[in-house]
Amino acid sequence: MRRLFACCLLLGVALPGWGADFARTIRTTELKAQPYSDARTLESLPARSRVEVLKRQSGWTRVKTATASGWVKMLSLRVEAGTSAKRGDSGLGALFNVASTGKSGSTVTTGVRGLSEEQLTDAQPDAKALQAAKRYAVSKQEAQRYAAEGKLQAQSVDYLSGGR
Amino acid sequence: MRTIWMIAMACLLGATLPAIAFDFGSVDWKKAAETVKKVQKAKTEIDEPQEIVLGDGIASNLLGAAPLLDNAAVQRYVNRIGRWLASQSERPDLPWLFGVLDDSDVNAFSTPGGNVFITKGLLAQMNSEAELAGVLAHEISHVVRRHHVLAIKKGAQAELLTDLANDAIRQKGGDPKLTKLVSAGTEVYARGLDKNDEYEADRMGVVIAARGGYDPYGLPAVLQTLQSLNPSDSSLALMFKTHPALGDRLELLDEEMSDQFAGLENQPDLADRFFQALGAGKK
Repeated sequence: MRRLFACCLLLGVALPGWGADFARTIRTTELKAQPYSDARTLESLPARSRVEVLKRQSGWTRVKTATASGWVKMLSLRVEAGTSAKRGDSGLGALFNVASTGKSGSTVTTGVRGLSEEQLTDAQPDAKALQAAKRYAVSKQEAQRYAAEGKLQAQSVDYLSGGR
Repeated sequence: MRTIWMIAMACLLGATLPAIAFDFGSVDWKKAAETVKKVQKAKTEIDEPQEIVLGDGIASNLLGAAPLLDNAAVQRYVNRIGRWLASQSERPDLPWLFGVLDDSDVNAFSTPGGNVFITKGLLAQMNSEAELAGVLAHEISHVVRRHHVLAIKKGAQAELLTDLANDAIRQKGGDPKLTKLVSAGTEVYARGLDKNDEYEADRMGVVIAARGGYDPYGLPAVLQTLQSLNPSDSSLALMFKTHPALGDRLELLDEEMSDQFAGLENQPDLADRFFQALGAGKK
């Protein structure tokens, strides 16, 4: 959480949601002791069971039910939408923008530039900014070197059928 | 319009073949019709160099709407991840460019020709490099499948569009006609793509991330995070307007990701490298 906090400060945006997230199972779902399919089943959760979301690990989410904690497949969950202003429009967001950049945040200046529908349609081209962005482009070789540094290994995976 | 082309082609054939111009008996009409078709196709097709010019024009517009985040380390990092993923796609040799926009809106964009942008607002919702990879791979998929090119073509008069692109290349930009074409293109970003294009980019995105060696669940994880946000937050407005509902996108990935990805669950998510690269790492 401290890293996330620092990260948000750096980027000048508000923190993603404080407090617990809740989700509901979209079907009957097995609560597993470990994050894999053949792990021991702790309990079977009926569809629309409300659980507290604790953390995610690849395709699995650790959740807390009324009686136990365990792992369910992440895609068996539908996360509940936040009801309070979690970020962006909150006063906290504006504060972070000011604190991190020393000037008013983009939410304040949205009348001029920004990514709303109208602002996009009315945007004036900035070719210089594009040239500036291109300075940061990297070669395939550099990208490959950085992937290797992260111990990423390219895999052969077929595209999904799309079921149609 | 087709009639005009037929007439034009007939004149052209007539002019270049004066000796047989009136010898209808020797004209292979089937072949002539095919030639006309081919020429028509060439005229309405946007080839790769044209696509790149068009994409750069749209990218300039996007950067006019939201500036680039002034942080070289973050920009370089996102380019490294993006270029690695693009190398796993069917268009590895486009002039791929990745950029973080200094905007609190939650969104990401790609243009024809391989320009991909993500807002700092979306970046701040992420928890690992695999999540970033999932989003970049979704955008890369739009470029690979030329979704925006096709949407622009659909919305414009085809032959007009191509003439504009040709002019633009000849004159290396600065053409008022290009401005028109690009602004027509930019409108696609305010309007959004067809929802099936978005579903396709989701399906392809998880595969491209997996090909890059990442935990393939990064993209659905980001979608779930967005699901947890307050949907009335204005920073989500355009993304919500231009994309299918998060629940529908997740449902589709749920249907398709079940078996094939079981063996890829242990691929790294590089969460530590992500936070370090964004300058928020443990000291």
